[in-house]
Amino acid sequence: MSDKEADRFELLRGTLDLLILRTLVAGPRHGHAIAKHIQRTSEDLLQVETGSLYPALHRLEAKGWIEASWELSDKGKRARYYRLTPSGRKQRASEQSKWQALSRAIGLILNPSDEEAQ
Amino acid sequence: MSSFFRKIAWFLRRSKKDAEIHEELEFYLEEEAGELEERGVTREEARRAARRELGNPTLVVEDTRAQWTWGWWEHLVQDLRYACRVMARNKSFSALAILSLALGIGANAAIFSFMDSILLRSLPVPHPESLVMLSWHTPREAFNGSDGHDDNYFDPRGGYVGGIFSYPAFELLQRNDRVFSSVFGYQSAHSVNLAFRGEAALAAAEYVSGNYFIGLGTQPAAGRLLGPDDDRTGAPPVAVISYALSERRFGGPANALGQSILINSLPFTVAGVTERRFFGADPDMPPDIYVPIHTKLTPDGIRAFVPAEEVNDPSYDWVVIMARLEPGVSAAQAQAALSGPFYEWGRAAKPELRPEDVPRLLVREGAEGLDSLRRQYSKPLYILLALVGLILAIACANIANLLLARAAARRREIAVRLSIGAGRWRVIRQLLTESMLLALLGGALGTGFAVWGVRFLTLLLGNGRENFTLRAELNWHVLAGAAALSVLTGVVFGLAPALQSTRMDLLQGLKESRTGEGVGRGLRRMAASRILIVAQIAITLLIVVAAGLFARTLSNLASIELGFNADNVLTFELDARQTGHTDPEIVDFYNGLQAQFGTIPGVRAASLSMVPMIGAGTGATNVSLSDGRVQNSRILTVGTNFFDTMQVPILVGRGIDDRDRAGAPMVAVINEVFAKLTLGDRNPVGQRLSLAYVCPKCEIEVVGVSANPRYGNLKRNMPPIVYLPFAQGAWGPVNEMYFELRTAGNPLGYVHAVRDIVRRADERMPVGNVKTQRAWIDESINQEITFARLCGAFALLALAIACVGLYGTMSYNVARRTGEIGIRMALGAQRGRVVGMILREVLLLVGVGIAVSLPIALVASKAVKAFLFGMKPNDPLALTGAVVTLASAAILAGYMPARRASRIDPMTALRHE
Repeated sequence: MSDKEADRFELLRGTLDLLILRTLVAGPRHGHAIAKHIQRTSEDLLQVETGSLYPALHRLEAKGWIEASWELSDKGKRARYYRLTPSGRKQRASEQSKWQALSRAIGLILNPSDEEAQ
Repeated sequence: MSSFFRKIAWFLRRSKKDAEIHEELEFYLEEEAGELEERGVTREEARRAARRELGNPTLVVEDTRAQWTWGWWEHLVQDLRYACRVMARNKSFSALAILSLALGIGANAAIFSFMDSILLRSLPVPHPESLVMLSWHTPREAFNGSDGHDDNYFDPRGGYVGGIFSYPAFELLQRNDRVFSSVFGYQSAHSVNLAFRGEAALAAAEYVSGNYFIGLGTQPAAGRLLGPDDDRTGAPPVAVISYALSERRFGGPANALGQSILINSLPFTVAGVTERRFFGADPDMPPDIYVPIHTKLTPDGIRAFVPAEEVNDPSYDWVVIMARLEPGVSAAQAQAALSGPFYEWGRAAKPELRPEDVPRLLVREGAEGLDSLRRQYSKPLYILLALVGLILAIACANIANLLLARAAARRREIAVRLSIGAGRWRVIRQLLTESMLLALLGGALGTGFAVWGVRFLTLLLGNGRENFTLRAELNWHVLAGAAALSVLTGVVFGLAPALQSTRMDLLQGLKESRTGEGVGRGLRRMAASRILIVAQIAITLLIVVAAGLFARTLSNLASIELGFNADNVLTFELDARQTGHTDPEIVDFYNGLQAQFGTIPGVRAASLSMVPMIGAGTGATNVSLSDGRVQNSRILTVGTNFFDTMQVPILVGRGIDDRDRAGAPMVAVINEVFAKLTLGDRNPVGQRLSLAYVCPKCEIEVVGVSANPRYGNLKRNMPPIVYLPFAQGAWGPVNEMYFELRTAGNPLGYVHAVRDIVRRADERMPVGNVKTQRAWIDESINQEITFARLCGAFALLALAIACVGLYGTMSYNVARRTGEIGIRMALGAQRGRVVGMILREVLLLVGVGIAVSLPIALVASKAVKAFLFGMKPNDPLALTGAVVTLASAAILAGYMPARRASRIDPMTALRHE
């Protein structure tokens, strides 16, 4: 149990927003599905805390990047589904390219051997 | 932007949205549990695991909801809501705090509004800063003339200041035009009979020089203002009227233009109307009508007002002079430039004066207009401002004390808040919000009190005068001042306890019980609150002493020996000259009226005189004796039966009677003071007098000596008086006269009968100034009455606030010491001893406060010396009275907690905690 905990990453502030936006590109989902999707896609390395998931969803909604509506889940229960808005799509694209630039920059510093190898 | 509206939309539906968050979380839990169940966990276990994974659901909901709000706003609303709850829980505390602050702030704002309108506001004309008032200074009283503006006075620094000039002096100053761009003059023409379309009423008229309006630079609201061409003999008679009169009598400025009016039965045309805000140059006497100096208000022109030969007499003063400085010239430069020529002129024009007695010119700032109003009210207002400032200080000390006590009582609550994780700043903000709410409510209520207070003060200072120009309004400065005061109070007295109580040792605070307050800290708090109480007592004593001094002054004034009987006397003014009566018929007309008034059932005696005894000024001039000596004396022209009517005893000889008609040998009655001053012990009857300026050729024989009545000013010494029969005209032509009726019962009950008689005698004649002699006297000491009442009210207020503070502190003290007192009583202390113990503490605080305050009171009371009558500033009776009043009030306030302490049941107290 403790080993597994140690393998997980603390999400950087702002990162969760991007992950949520990216998850919703595939289509509307409810909160639980979003959390599970992030968890599974990251091969369980990223665990989304409920305590930060819902504030993040509502923060994005208040900013107008996603919108929500009550729909029936596949199990027939009422669930709040979130979907991207057009401004959310734009935000996702710009955030993602920023993140990729950052991660490349950090990668360049952390792996100088790559550079030397070239 | 759109985020803002989404948040608003959320806020509007917040209860539904809250439910949705809960539902969303519920859904999450079920999904999570379902997933675990699929992996083979039991339903029970799955739900518990899901819940564990979720953490604190309330916190999650809070955090989620927080995304839709603005943090500071949410906190402010929370703080305010909590502050309101705290206030509602401590109703009496909050009410006391708010009320005492409101009274303090309200009184300050009201008094300050008056200061603002009297001391800081300028005449409503362009460039008021370049206006100057001209006056002169002599080493001794040298008043010879007529003045309706009350601007002659004894200079507190010595000598005598005159604000009026003779017409030749006015012309002299007008010729010297290097320093002034214009020099203009005016004088009140008193009340005139204004008739328009057959309707007559009294109106206040002002003689003005032709360049008066040009010099002031004011604009007309309609038509034109007077110019130099109007002010010469033979010019068509025109008048300018005030905006207020145009509305009152004509239905607006436009309708008044070109109308024909009768002033004292003489035809005039209304040429123009002044601006609405213009009130003349003397804020104390706003005219209704302005007429040029050289036009006629009576068949004699200005001579009816200024005795005939003296319009151009250099030694007869009657023109008030104002001037506008040339750009770049200061008042001091103007005075330097003109004092030489003015002095030379004075030496030549008044050769009888010794060189050092010749008047010297003074040029002073005139932006605020004639300074009589400011002289009259500025010092009283400073004193009132000081008093209300002290009251505000007491109120603030009270609030500080109450907040300190409450902060101490809430130490546990604050310790709990801090220990469960509230940030220190968050707690301070909460405490500050509470005290600011108190202060702001106090400020808002105080502004309301101020509005009411300004109206009240206007009534009080104006004393029913219709034309009172002091229109004090609450302006933005005053409101801002009041707001700043209340916010400052809130910050200062909220912050100190807040900082103190959040710095405490948490464990100590949590362990604290009501009785077991940490000893060292408790003492320090007690020291702070004791100092505040001592300060309150000290300040209160000052106010109570002031109230005592003014109350004693009033009672001294009320018990002044008048020298005549002022009770049951009706006075009123008639002016037969205005309705066209002329010499010599006017004397018979007045005598006829006097006889008719005497026959009204219930009227015991009737007479007439040129002014009533007290409150309407006097005549005065130099009286020459047969041996050539000159004595300055008050003059009073009277009708027959005057001494009997006013009940002034005749000591030697006879009074004025039917023999003393026009044409008969001229006679006078003198009073004892005049007799002593001029004749010593010689028999005055048979002595001959003449009036140096007014009637130098007259040979007036003294026929009697009266006792000494007060005449003119109630507060001055008994003046020398020469009474002359009005019928003989030694004091100039007969104009308006005041009738005096001694009545059985209420004098005002006879007004109807008087009006009937006057209407039958001359239906055009208005009856003016209908008052009792007592009312004249009361008006003349209006300031003292106002002061005594206001200070009495202030003293009560201060006593109440200080006693509330004392009571609150002692109650808190007793509650804190419940355990200790219980032990004492269990060990055998008697109830009386416990009461004594608490009262000793009260007396100690009061004693220290009084000891601190008495020396200050002794010094400070010198500042109000000018307002006292018949007593020294350190009047022992007023001081003792104040100390006794304060001590009794304090003991009363301390007795209730002391009694409560003595009722403590030892068993309950010991079991307590």
